[in-house]
Amino acid sequence: MQALETPSPVAPPVRTAPTREPSNPFLSIRGVSRSFAPTLRHGAPTLALQATDLAVAENDFITILGPSGCGKSTLLRIVAGLDRQTSGEVQLEGRRLGGPGADRGMVFQSYTLFPWLTVRENVCFGLNERGLPRAQQFEIAQSYIRKVGLVGFEDHYPKQLSGGMQQRTALARALANGPRMLLMDEPFGALDHQTRELMQELLLGIWEAERKTVLFVTHDIDEAVFMGSRVVVMSARPGRIKLDREVPLAHPRHYLVKTTAPFVELKAELTEQVRTEVLAAQAAAV
Amino acid sequence: MTPLKPVDASTRMVLGLAFFVVFVLLWGAATLGGMVSKTFLADPITMVRSGWTLMTEMGFAKDIGMTVWRVVGGFAIAAAIALPLGVAMGAYKPIEAFFEPFVSFARYLPASAFIPLLILWAGIGEAQKLAVIFIGSFFQLVLMIAVAVGNTRRDLVEAAYTLGSTDSSIVRRVLIRGAAPEICEILRMVLGWAWTYVIVAELIGSSSGIGHMITDSQALLATDQIIFGIIVIGVIGLVSDIGFKWLNRRLFPWALLGR
Repeated sequence: MQALETPSPVAPPVRTAPTREPSNPFLSIRGVSRSFAPTLRHGAPTLALQATDLAVAENDFITILGPSGCGKSTLLRIVAGLDRQTSGEVQLEGRRLGGPGADRGMVFQSYTLFPWLTVRENVCFGLNERGLPRAQQFEIAQSYIRKVGLVGFEDHYPKQLSGGMQQRTALARALANGPRMLLMDEPFGALDHQTRELMQELLLGIWEAERKTVLFVTHDIDEAVFMGSRVVVMSARPGRIKLDREVPLAHPRHYLVKTTAPFVELKAELTEQVRTEVLAAQAAAV
Repeated sequence: MTPLKPVDASTRMVLGLAFFVVFVLLWGAATLGGMVSKTFLADPITMVRSGWTLMTEMGFAKDIGMTVWRVVGGFAIAAAIALPLGVAMGAYKPIEAFFEPFVSFARYLPASAFIPLLILWAGIGEAQKLAVIFIGSFFQLVLMIAVAVGNTRRDLVEAAYTLGSTDSSIVRRVLIRGAAPEICEILRMVLGWAWTYVIVAELIGSSSGIGHMITDSQALLATDQIIFGIIVIGVIGLVSDIGFKWLNRRLFPWALLGR
């Protein structure tokens, strides 16, 4: 694919900010901003996301933290191709992204399984779109159903499943499609605390085995540190990237890592940073 | 009784039938007891007896057949055109913007008011009857189907896009699949309305059908036959309703979950 779509030979302008920038990032977000048309006739357009740069290396697990309304979901939706940036561009493996595509799998916060399809049929959805033979679809689907621990529920409809099981199916559906990367928009946000922790371990286990590149939006600091190999903090609206931290925890991570000193230290720092932004967001709202 | 507490299936059936019994008893008491004159309202026994005569000696079964054929025929034509148009309008907003105002206007045109015009155009043959049914059901179907398809959850559409769906497969595999139970329900409802139009069409300029029999009976003051005719319509309506509901449950078991 490089042969066909050669990026411009002119090198991008030298940038000063991040310290560890891969020279040829897997996913590169450059100057991406988003503003919304004014709600009032003479109002000014609302800037939801300031021009943002982010370079993601392959196999990275990046968690994006920020106060609600900071544009973190908007950023993720732009990468997914479900929302369009006002300026800037997103490249995946050197290819400029336009609309949505099967190369970027997504798991949403809301339950988005197709209610008319069973668990197995849901997991097969993307494979079916690609026109794979039925037997092969089932084989791939079954392996992911096993990975998310839903063996025995293949023929259940989504409404017969708990929220956690629905999100596990959604994860299997996204992974079965073999995307180049996974985008997750607070996927466990609607789950209760215990289920959420188990889901984190499940996803982390899968990631440790497959090392799929992940962009994971959350407002839960514990989750961000536990899951991420890199944590990015966004400022209050209009959002921009304020902090970018490597997580100094080795893989595989056991849930007890949450009580270790490096975890607690990083969590304390991030808590402080996010808190500042939440306060700023509240001050702006008054 | 506790508000909203469900009843089990057998109790529901018994209660449902019980009211039919109560209704017939009240009717019988009013007529057989001499409270209402026979000229205006026949009693249940006479009604059943003349119904039997109608069926066995006067070829009423053929009239019923004609009426059913007209309803089903006109409705099938309306549905065959309304389905693709409604789906297209629900899925593609420019198509909706093009048709919606006119269809909304046409929907309020009373189908029965078209009968004189249709007789002028199509005579008093079958084409006229089918046209009345068509006008009565087509515009309703189009609008309701368009709304059902347009109400598809946006997040499901987005999820399909991220799984690699194209625009046309979004329509086929998400919009239509998701709206199918509701579309089936719309067909059931509008078919019920089609029944009222066919009788009106048959009351004027017709030589067969249930409506025709009812007009004839009116001239003879045969209220027993009129009531029999009305009850036959009710029974056919009930049967088609139950049929549709059964079909809906068989085709879309997922839609009943969590209700």
